[in-house]
Amino acid sequence: MARYAMVIDLDRCTGCRACMMACKVENNTPEANFWMYVFRFEEGQYPNTHIWFMPRPCMHCDNPPCAKVCPVGARYKRLDGLVATDWDRCIGCRYCEVACPYGVNYFNWKKPSKNYYLDWQDEDVQKVTGGAVPPYRNPDLDQPYGVERRRTAGGGRLMGVIEKCTFCVHRVERGQQPACVQNCPLFALHFGDLDDPNSTVSQLLRRKPSFRLLEELGTEPRVYYVGGHPPSTESRQIEEVKARV
Amino acid sequence: MRTVLTISMIVVGFALQITSYFFLAAPWNPLYSNPRVPFAPALFILGVMLVFLAAVVYELLPEKQVQ
Amino acid sequence: MAEQQGTLPYGIGRFSARLFTLIAGLLLLVAWGLFTYSRQLLEGLVVTGLRDIGTMGGAAWGLYITFDVYFVGVSFAGITVAALIRLFHLDHLRPVSRMAEALTITALILAAFSVMADLGQPLRGFVNLFRYARPQSPFFGTFTLVIAGYLFASLVYLYLDGRRDAALLARRPSRLQGFYRLWAAGYRDTPAERARHDRVTLWLALAIVPLLVTAHSTLGFVFGIQSGRPGWYSTLQAPGFVVMAGVSGIGLLLIIAAIMRAILPEGERVHRGIFRWLGTLLLLLIVAYLYFMVAELLTTMYAGSRHETEISRSLLAGEFAWLFWGSVAGLVLGALVLSLRFLPASFQARIPTISPRWGMVLGIGALILIGLRALQGLDLFSPFSVTTARWLAWLAVALALIAFLLLLPFLTRNVVAAGVAAGILVNFAAIGKRVLLVVPSQTQGMLLPYGPGWYKPTWVEISIIVGLFALGILLYVLFFKIFPVMEVHPTEEGAE
Repeated sequence: MARYAMVIDLDRCTGCRACMMACKVENNTPEANFWMYVFRFEEGQYPNTHIWFMPRPCMHCDNPPCAKVCPVGARYKRLDGLVATDWDRCIGCRYCEVACPYGVNYFNWKKPSKNYYLDWQDEDVQKVTGGAVPPYRNPDLDQPYGVERRRTAGGGRLMGVIEKCTFCVHRVERGQQPACVQNCPLFALHFGDLDDPNSTVSQLLRRKPSFRLLEELGTEPRVYYVGGHPPSTESRQIEEVKARV
Repeated sequence: MRTVLTISMIVVGFALQITSYFFLAAPWNPLYSNPRVPFAPALFILGVMLVFLAAVVYELLPEKQVQ
Repeated sequence: MAEQQGTLPYGIGRFSARLFTLIAGLLLLVAWGLFTYSRQLLEGLVVTGLRDIGTMGGAAWGLYITFDVYFVGVSFAGITVAALIRLFHLDHLRPVSRMAEALTITALILAAFSVMADLGQPLRGFVNLFRYARPQSPFFGTFTLVIAGYLFASLVYLYLDGRRDAALLARRPSRLQGFYRLWAAGYRDTPAERARHDRVTLWLALAIVPLLVTAHSTLGFVFGIQSGRPGWYSTLQAPGFVVMAGVSGIGLLLIIAAIMRAILPEGERVHRGIFRWLGTLLLLLIVAYLYFMVAELLTTMYAGSRHETEISRSLLAGEFAWLFWGSVAGLVLGALVLSLRFLPASFQARIPTISPRWGMVLGIGALILIGLRALQGLDLFSPFSVTTARWLAWLAVALALIAFLLLLPFLTRNVVAAGVAAGILVNFAAIGKRVLLVVPSQTQGMLLPYGPGWYKPTWVEISIIVGLFALGILLYVLFFKIFPVMEVHPTEEGAE
């Protein structure tokens, strides 16, 4: 069984947020849902200021507080390390959301049809689309995955269920990389099997010192950061993102 | 007779609670997200209810001897 | 007091015009609550003020969970009173025992509905919890032990405790005779049956007490085990919940007992000794809770992490300051009111007599102003400018203090009124503290540097909560219109 992890090279990240866009397109996440989010920090005082960027996917922890508290077992950890959400079983209590220290969960507050970025029924839009609803929904996202055959991929499926980064389980099971990793123009994101000594992630972790976010909580995240430092009291956000639905 | 029924209901109720609790999952293992028996929590609640219904049985059942 | 044959005691079966108006008003509120809930089912939870934690800067848990915690807390009263009577032979508390049991049952039903209102997929929640509930999750305890176990146990207790009265009332012809016969299920008021009943209720009370402690503790654990939410992660959550449950429950029981005393012709049976005793118990619980609060606050202010300090600061001097100090005032003033009767009699005699009318008028005025200011603060109804709103808030505080001072002489001499005043104060404080428990740890002090968020409940949430309260009062009132609120005395059976 593979032991998947992600390594993020903070030396390379320029905060372009292509990963955020790629995740959104691949997983059809609705408005204000940022499964992948990139922090933009500024530190220091002029003339010694310094700007850096930190991508924040779901950490897919080995000791996940979200999976522990789910009352019905909709949020669970797979054997290959991915923490998945079964949107067929989720009852929408949002306990996983309040339990997550990293704030990676997003709830479907609205009906998905009311949460698209474009109103496909709008007349002006229909002049362009000719009435066709473009292949907006990635058909992979409706399939069951894993040996347990549970539907765990994709966003905006149902009103009233919770969702988060899935490490693109529908791609990983086909042997592909998650969308954010695949689309990063600077190879700042890496994904692979920690049990394979020749994978990029294993090599990176051997070569550079790494850290994980909020390690003192004991959540054992599977997302490692190399080439930088964790956000400190000095780190100020350049812009405060409050994208509300 | 009434006492026997009451006590057996209490024992069965607690036994049902304990077995369905440990049937549900090995504690503290996030990999285990399905109960081993479907509707096991319903069985747990049934156990709780049995224990308290025993009190009703004890009060309601008539004495064996004729009044 | 000769009762007419055929008339049931305690106003059972008698509906006055006033009662019909009350029921009509409550039904209206319940219907409005149901209507807004249907909008929430249709549009989704976006109609509430809840939003995601983190990049959305909102709170995922809000009013619904607040009132779920509050209602479960209120349910403390019933079985505590029943257990106290049985285990410590406090027979002088008997008149309020059935009121307390009914309060517990009503409160637990409302708690269950509160949680259902919060779920994104309520129907699924109902089925999936029975099918898949995991004991690793603290919600398991809330769902099985509290809502299923505790509620069922209280129903059993109420049923068994009521059999004697049902049997007594079944002896006279009335429209409810069939119902009473069914409830009594062949109860014969013989010494042997009475002895058996005493034994069973003793064991039942003994069995329910651990359930009570577990129930409130698991609810505390829902919050206390979350290392990712500074402010929630505390060992004191579970014990604090048990104590706060007592505070709100006993407080509400005092109010209900006073109402029953006032409106029932047999009201004198709810004698002053009950108010003295429950008042002292409430006082002790308030003091215990204040101690917990001080201990927690001192620890976080002295040496808390910067996240905990951020949260504490928002409570003490930030956006939650009004709510925090208001709740503390409610608890402290409630404790003060309850300790008034311990003043030496000579001192009490020297306090001038002031009619409570002025105090009540000013107090109601203060409440209205506070309500308006709250609605303005929540952006639900903002007719005032910012400066006017600020002045209104301080005016409300001044009015409240003057009202309190004016009411003090009356409250010193009238232990029933003191109980009611304390009950009202501590219940508002309890609701305030519940909001302060649930919301600030989600909008402030996040471990990743998201920056603070905000939460403002909408009319949908408020309507549903008001509808729930109305439903609870309706069920309570209707139940006591078909079943006696206190034990039927042999003289009330009517001539046979």
